[in-house]
Amino acid sequence: MVTIEDLSVNFGSTEAVRHVNLEIQGGEILGVVGESGSGKSVTALTLMGLVSEEATVTSGRILFDDAVLQEAGKPRDKALYRRYQGERMSMVFQEPMTSLNPTQRVGRQVEEMLRLHSMPAYSEEGAPGRGTAAEPSSPAEPKGRAAGGRQQRQAMKQLVLETFAAVGLREPERVYGCYPHQLSGGMRQRVMIAMAIILHPRLIVADEPTTALDVTVQNQIMDLLREINEKRHNAILFITHDLNLARRICHRIAVMKDGRVVETGTPEEIFEHPREEYTRNLIEAVPSRMKRRTKRGGGGQICPEPVVTVRDLQVYYREGGNSLFSRGKKNHVVRDAGFEIRKGEILGLVGESGCGKTSLSKAILGMNRDITGEIRHYSTRPQMIFQDPYSSLNPSKTVGWLLEEPLRARGKLEPERAMSAADMRCAAMEMLGTVGLSEAYYDRRPSQLSGGQRQRISIGQALITRPGLVIADEPVSALDVTIQAQIMELMRRLQEEMGLAYLFISHDINVIYQMSDRIMVMKEGKILEIGETEEVFAHPREEYTRQLLRES
Amino acid sequence: MKYLSKKIVTLIMTLFVVSAAAFIAFQIIPGDVVTSILGTEATPEREAQLREELGLNDPPVARYFRWAGGVLMGDLGISYRYAKNMNEMMPVAELIGDKLPVTLSLAAISLVLIVAVSIPLGVLWARSRNKVLDAALGVITQTTMAIPSFFLGIIVTYLFGMVFKCFVPGGYVSYEKDIKGFLFYLLFPALAIALPKAAMTARFLRGSLLTELRADYVRTARSKGCGERRVMYGHVLRNAMMPVITFLGMIIAEIVAGSIVVEQVFSLPGIGRLLISSISTRDLPVVEILILYITFVVIFVYFLVDILYRVVDPRISGK
Repeated sequence: MVTIEDLSVNFGSTEAVRHVNLEIQGGEILGVVGESGSGKSVTALTLMGLVSEEATVTSGRILFDDAVLQEAGKPRDKALYRRYQGERMSMVFQEPMTSLNPTQRVGRQVEEMLRLHSMPAYSEEGAPGRGTAAEPSSPAEPKGRAAGGRQQRQAMKQLVLETFAAVGLREPERVYGCYPHQLSGGMRQRVMIAMAIILHPRLIVADEPTTALDVTVQNQIMDLLREINEKRHNAILFITHDLNLARRICHRIAVMKDGRVVETGTPEEIFEHPREEYTRNLIEAVPSRMKRRTKRGGGGQICPEPVVTVRDLQVYYREGGNSLFSRGKKNHVVRDAGFEIRKGEILGLVGESGCGKTSLSKAILGMNRDITGEIRHYSTRPQMIFQDPYSSLNPSKTVGWLLEEPLRARGKLEPERAMSAADMRCAAMEMLGTVGLSEAYYDRRPSQLSGGQRQRISIGQALITRPGLVIADEPVSALDVTIQAQIMELMRRLQEEMGLAYLFISHDINVIYQMSDRIMVMKEGKILEIGETEEVFAHPREEYTRQLLRES
Repeated sequence: MKYLSKKIVTLIMTLFVVSAAAFIAFQIIPGDVVTSILGTEATPEREAQLREELGLNDPPVARYFRWAGGVLMGDLGISYRYAKNMNEMMPVAELIGDKLPVTLSLAAISLVLIVAVSIPLGVLWARSRNKVLDAALGVITQTTMAIPSFFLGIIVTYLFGMVFKCFVPGGYVSYEKDIKGFLFYLLFPALAIALPKAAMTARFLRGSLLTELRADYVRTARSKGCGERRVMYGHVLRNAMMPVITFLGMIIAEIVAGSIVVEQVFSLPGIGRLLISSISTRDLPVVEILILYITFVVIFVYFLVDILYRVVDPRISGK
């Protein structure tokens, strides 16, 4: 149905996509898997005619049912594309939070699809049959508005409501009148999907549709996509960085690296007999419970003595902030937390977004003072490793400066431990070696580093003051799988060498399994369960834990 | 409702602080209303008598509260300098009531011009793929913004008054006599006020539009098959208006408070000119009320901006 022949796309002088050949047959789910920068999104956006104007197609062409959509050397024909966009092919984006217009009711946004193109013939009463050609170029007066506009609008709304119901949105009426911010991430993604399928396009391009969602919601959305494919026989181009996800729903998988397709095959072929070294690495890097956990070496013994104990901890936020007029209402985000972290252990904390993981860790660090209860530290100031290495390092400073900053801060707080500039420089150089970077990085800036390298700097920052406890808040979530594996390996090695204790936070239960000695499960601000890793995985006590385990 | 009462309390507190500050300022700055009225040649007896008449012998705090009490009761006081006729001084309320329609009409016309010019211009500019047009608009708006308003006023007077003879420079027509002539005369000073502000607003809107055009939801709209026009008017414009509304609010507050320079150049009897002359003659009652008026206008406009925000962006009120 869709053929991408020898496609190359350049941004200026950099080649984002190199000689890619892909074929999507009607009704199939084709997965394109690759790490960030592999060109998978650019390929999809080029297919959809949505790639930014700086990009140029330097070779090859894209065919949709033998019609040439795009060809090297010719400018993109926008008018032609508009007849395909929405009606014959549609797209579901990664970020449901920002992909909907924030100032328009979602019902109207989905309905716009119908306004732009003629209504499909499938819809029940009221709607006229499918027109010969849509007229997106004259949005002011869509066809048929003059004739029985009211009836037409009623029919459109009816179809939107039906589609909302079909994508599993309960209370379609209510959702219809909501603004995007009034819906949860999963609901927004369902709205996006409703928008994508309402005209029964033959191809749906789904670009990381579940990456920004929690595991449970992720599963629901995956099931929905599969169901749509089975019922309506739309072909789906499913783009993901997650091999496991691709394995679960795709009929065929193409693996991309550095702008090229390195391997194509059925999921069985790819997983059982990967032909390429790269594919093999990718499969191995995925954290999984199938693989045995690497047992800790002899160096890092867990001592029974704690580095921190938490008792009866409540963390809350004041609603309304510091207003003169409203008395802040306490809004609890963590309730009755009580646990300890022992010297030299990794305590994994797992839970969905909004369950209070980050609030709890901030309270332990002393960054949140709206707490009651007791937090007792037995080691020096704990440090934190943050999730997003792209935004958590000050872009205007050098790596050396960033590494020395915690030492300077400590010098201010405890003048007797202040270090000379030369000593700090030495410590920073040594730390670069410790986290696996050469000393040449000392004078670079974060913008010159890759995501993995930046995260190494974050780790260096956290460890340079030699704390007893490090809190790592989703330290690998923003990284590609292969990099993720390296960073986890580094963190484990450092933990053993330096006798550290980690509070390791993640939403990914497989990552937690790989890393942790003990596991703590949180839901809605409460700690549900805490225990040895193997014990919790083998015999989860709580229904919620079982659910988490089942779904990942 | 709670929101409204909060706003009103803030308003009252601000008015109190500002009026007290203005009062204190008048105690500190050199110059005396008595000397200003009688001149330096007056006898000490005459000065003492006038001082007594104006109630200036009471301690400042008592005078402030007497004045504030009067304002609360609706009595805006009586001007020290402006005479109504041979025997009476002019009440401040009447004095300002005379000038207010001029300034408000001027502000309204200016605002209409600003919006009518800047929004189409900003949209056109953001959509333009033409490098020459882009650069030309950049230079034109920058120049317009940079010209001081008195100079722009002179240019407008020269061009429309002397060359094209559209209006008689300095021939202000009172609104009481000829409302049409009055509004037509105001068109030209409004032009002098509006041009630089419109240029600023257009630049601002363009920047905001270009930022919004990179947003994810724009890509979604394109993926639906929206044409460029529909993307712009159906999706982007409303979101891009948010910062522009704030900016327009600031401009409105400024011009409603009286455009001193332009009123001067076009010899309009507006609030701005009244303020300047009252300060120089130390006419405290008039200045106090004018300052209250300006403060009120600024706060009220920001209140309106706030309301408008809630209308445009559902995320602000909806929780």
